Amino acid sequence: MNEKPIEKEGPGAAVAAPVREVEIGDLDGHVGHTLEPDWKRLPIGPDHILYPVLVGLALFPILMGDAGHHLADDMPDEETHPFFPDHFWPYPIIAVVMLIAVGLLSAFVQKNLQLEASADPRAVTIPRPDWYFLFLFQFLKLGPELIMSLVIPPIVVVGLLIWPFIDGIAGPRLARRLGWKRWPVPGRNIITGTGWILFLGFIVFLTLWALAGPNFCLPYLTGPVCGA
Amino acid sequence: MAIPHPRDIQVAVVDWLDERYPFTKAVDEALYQRVPNFANAFYYCFGGMVFILIVFQLLTGILLALYYVPDASGNPAPAYTSVQFIQNTVYLGWLIRGVHFWSANILIVMVLIHMARVYWTGSYRAPRELNWMVGVLMLLIVLTLSLTGYLLPWDTKAYFATEVTIKIAGSAPPAQLGAFIKEILQGGPVVGPPTLLRFFTLHVFVLPALIVLLMYVHFRFIRAHGISEPL
Repeated sequence: MNEKPIEKEGPGAAVAAPVREVEIGDLDGHVGHTLEPDWKRLPIGPDHILYPVLVGLALFPILMGDAGHHLADDMPDEETHPFFPDHFWPYPIIAVVMLIAVGLLSAFVQKNLQLEASADPRAVTIPRPDWYFLFLFQFLKLGPELIMSLVIPPIVVVGLLIWPFIDGIAGPRLARRLGWKRWPVPGRNIITGTGWILFLGFIVFLTLWALAGPNFCLPYLTGPVCGA
Repeated sequence: MAIPHPRDIQVAVVDWLDERYPFTKAVDEALYQRVPNFANAFYYCFGGMVFILIVFQLLTGILLALYYVPDASGNPAPAYTSVQFIQNTVYLGWLIRGVHFWSANILIVMVLIHMARVYWTGSYRAPRELNWMVGVLMLLIVLTLSLTGYLLPWDTKAYFATEVTIKIAGSAPPAQLGAFIKEILQGGPVVGPPTLLRFFTLHVFVLPALIVLLMYVHFRFIRAHGISEPL
């Protein structure tokens, strides 16, 4: 048996090591991350039986590449906390809670999982998509099919895709014209914030309208269009 | 010769790795990097929840693929009977299929909530524009995964819902392009066995590979840029 003593620093040490900043100077050329000081870390070093577990947890961020200069690097210690275990620990709990939730749904809401008859092209049925496409299904009824299915949805998708550029270019110009000092983020912006809520509200409205069924019509709004 | 203590073997392995790569430093940097306290707010967890649900989808999808038969010939088709077999006969098959089904539904909700949060807090702004675009692409892939997965049980509602979807996609102008899209998706004059096979291939091979790739890019960007500031 090898009795070579293993030097340890950290909570197990007789005298706590002084606080020091560890610079990762030779890791992809990036320097200056402030790490949790040694004495505040879990006492799990390379000689600890649980070290492979830590390595397993670290593999994911390591594979994700070098961390750039982050906000936390410039913040005082009391306004930050280490990724492990302080920031990490809720996620395994969330995963277990979610697994239990979907397991319970599987056990007690069997209706949605039951199959209808095997597909038969000769069957007579009213086609209906799953709930997440109901809004689109209902939207198609509100105008000419070509425009509602092949013009507006692609425009919305492309608009969503390039939204950061629209917001970054058109926003400040609009702010200047309105006499605003700056163009705030949507959460503090009466224009983009309200627009987002109306957009989401419209999708929810279309979904509920479709869910209400073929007998739910709004003749004063859209003429003869009814639910799906 | 004395048998070395497992702890010494572990230390020797770590030393060996350290000589070739800054291994322990990389582990320290990954685990003990500091995170702003505001990142503990519940709404910063939505992205992690999406990741967890995608992992559920991949794991249960692999298990379902062990029994699923992507064959739509005959009535009832093997695809339909295999789903029935999973649901009624396979040990815990109902649970695996249930977790896959409900995770898929919750995944769409969580992706939308995550996206709404990112929008609301302006986290798409420079330098994170590209990550927003990757996120929108992932939303489209999640929706396409749901669409292609909907047909796989090969029951009546799946059949006709897919028929309508293909009809809409096939009405793209000009007529030749529409017909081409329809032919690509359908694989024949009507929705049938080739359609199921195409949807199965997309659902099981192409789209999961794409989403894993985009998730990698998404996480690399997050790691490079860090967590965005709150409102």
